[in-house]
Amino acid sequence: MAVSVLAILAFLLGAAASAPAQAKPWWMRGIDSNETDFLPPDVAFRVAARVEGNLIKVRWVIADGYYLYRQKIEVKAESPDLMVSPAELPPGIVKTDPYLGTQQVYFQQVEAIVPYSRIDAGAHPLQIKVTYQGCAEAGLCYPPITKVVFPVVAANAAPASVPPYPWESIAILAGALAFLLAGLVLRKGRTLDVPV
Amino acid sequence: MNTPGLRYVGAALLVLVGIWAGLKFHTVRTVPGAGVAVPAGVASAPDPTDNAESQAAAPAPVIPASLPQFSLKDLAGKLTPVSSWRGKSLVINFWATWCAPCRREIPLLKTLAADWGGRELEVIGIAVDYPDKVRQFAAQFKIDYPVLVGEQDAMDVAAGFGMSSPGFPFTVFTDRRGEVVALFLGELHRPQADLILSEVQNLNEDRVQLPQARRTIVQGLERMAAKHES
Repeated sequence: MAVSVLAILAFLLGAAASAPAQAKPWWMRGIDSNETDFLPPDVAFRVAARVEGNLIKVRWVIADGYYLYRQKIEVKAESPDLMVSPAELPPGIVKTDPYLGTQQVYFQQVEAIVPYSRIDAGAHPLQIKVTYQGCAEAGLCYPPITKVVFPVVAANAAPASVPPYPWESIAILAGALAFLLAGLVLRKGRTLDVPV
Repeated sequence: MNTPGLRYVGAALLVLVGIWAGLKFHTVRTVPGAGVAVPAGVASAPDPTDNAESQAAAPAPVIPASLPQFSLKDLAGKLTPVSSWRGKSLVINFWATWCAPCRREIPLLKTLAADWGGRELEVIGIAVDYPDKVRQFAAQFKIDYPVLVGEQDAMDVAAGFGMSSPGFPFTVFTDRRGEVVALFLGELHRPQADLILSEVQNLNEDRVQLPQARRTIVQGLERMAAKHES
């Protein structure tokens, strides 16, 4: 638990630090060291996911001056009991590059909607694997990034893993009553030898 | 102790203990995967594979002062050491076929190879990509300067230049002694290339020292920036 709290703190600090991120144009770069004006890929593209009902919503926050390719975004199931449908993505902005052709891209942010179902609800933590690839407009591209993401269950939404549990409680109660009943039936006509 | 009433009470107690234990167990089971408070606007807990903390702790990689020794395969599959070009100034361009700015640079690199070629300068492409794709692309774009290609091995070479999690393209300029004059991250344009290469030429002909050449390059780039902004 301490580890996850630390990780969240690091995540929040990182998010705060990167908020005003702005890529400088190509003519502003120094050459003395590799302290470049380009952002590290995890700062340029921040990904997070949450669960709403039977949907997983994956959201990328993209720094100013950076973009993600629509066709390079992919969301797959990582938990063994999870099945996801292909991600539904909004139409992107059409970008035509004479050397790469026409592509749809996203600036600022994008949210993928992924319908999902689970075979064995609750047995495994919900995990998805996301792949994405993007560039800086100033002329730098990052290799495809693949990450395992733990979608968070929204506080005001009923998590999909809840429904089975009331039945478990009833099963426990019914089991206990069955033992009581069996005990009473078996006891009928018998005396218990208890040493006095 | 034989009173039937007491036994019923005992049995009922056992059942209650069973139910209590069951419910307690049930509560414990719902804990994994849930229960981490996340503030509004932050949709997800961080990925455990996200090494933001270790990145913060890692020392910043350094661009080497002189050309590291490495070997990679050429497009024919022949292992080629960079020492094959010993004594020449190099423009080493790291690129990939899926990268738009890398593709845009190819005509410039071909022109540089043609324009500066007779002056002991070699343009070398290092494609961090699948060899088949690179061969096909090089034929299509008629790349006429030497191209080396590799996957993890080419990534390792990039890391040797201080670019362990690289973006593409980036271009390394060395003088004839193998000193790294500049590493230019991102898409290279003709005025910058000419500026850096003229300083490389000055270094090769011992007209300047490296610190002065670098200063000239930085000042030149700043002038270009000011001109571009005005």
